[in-house]
Amino acid sequence: MEINLKEEVLKDQNKAAAFNRKLFQDSRTLVINIMSSPGAGKTTLLEATVKALAREYKIGVIEGDLATERDADRLRALGVDTVQINTVGGCHLDARMIAKKLPEFDLEKTDILFIENIGNLVCPSGYDLGQHFKVVVLSVPEGNDKIPKYPIMFRRTDMTLINKIDLLPYVPFNLVEAAEDLKSINPEALFKPVSALTGDRMGEWTGWIREVYHTCLAR
Amino acid sequence: MHELSLMAELIKLVSEDAHDRGIIKVSKIDVIVGDLSNVLPEALEEAFIYLRPRVEALFDEQTELHVIREEARAACRSCRTEFVPDYRIAFCPVCRLPTSELLSGETFRVESYEGCDEDGN
Repeated sequence: MEINLKEEVLKDQNKAAAFNRKLFQDSRTLVINIMSSPGAGKTTLLEATVKALAREYKIGVIEGDLATERDADRLRALGVDTVQINTVGGCHLDARMIAKKLPEFDLEKTDILFIENIGNLVCPSGYDLGQHFKVVVLSVPEGNDKIPKYPIMFRRTDMTLINKIDLLPYVPFNLVEAAEDLKSINPEALFKPVSALTGDRMGEWTGWIREVYHTCLAR
Repeated sequence: MHELSLMAELIKLVSEDAHDRGIIKVSKIDVIVGDLSNVLPEALEEAFIYLRPRVEALFDEQTELHVIREEARAACRSCRTEFVPDYRIAFCPVCRLPTSELLSGETFRVESYEGCDEDGN
């Protein structure tokens, strides 16, 4: 017999994402899923972001890595509640992995939860974690051609953050071309150049977080 | 690559549905893979061959995975031109503006499968 199933392969994962989304909305927690290739500076960005926002907001972090607690330790050193997920080879975080870790946070008291995804510009793009926003970090040394080379990631994210702009004088990276390429792939996406290391233009990023915190969670 | 975990999801989805219907053998699965779904059909087939023997009695070497490609298509919101986008997914080749929406290409779905129950139906 033939069964016309017509089901999304990621049905269970997407159900878990909807479950997470409801929890985040009920507890009024802004959740931002941060993706990039390895070495783009996600953890350094989070350290700088936490330092800038910790006095106003209670922040939590979920750190995804294949192995080690190294990134989690960097954020714990700043006094942030951080839970590490080791995927032991897995190339992305999915909504069920996040759901399992949520009981380790006091969500009612957490204003902002950052999820640092596995360093990879392909696989994490397909997994909804229930977040409010997906942000992709592209660092200057990687080159601006990563935007046209990995269009699906840049298509599926709400913001492209260009990190390490302090290196612009030393390596070829065309900011104008990057912005144009992003526009042709995802015209609604925001485009913000920053340096998490020097703090240059970081106020635009943290200002955006403050803004969406109030607009997304307004009753 | 994530095709191994996607295939594990796909097999779970079909196995659970087959179990509910009393199907004991699955002979063929039709899956739709969009050109912009970030799923590689070749890697998906490799993962299927790797995982197939690990699924109890429901699957065997004859169980076939049939991948149906879904072409990416976009339509311009201003001039309504329909086209197959290149990497500039939102870019209309006629207006030359990023004003297009995707009509297809992101699907990753089990369309149907064939199997039989204990009575051979």
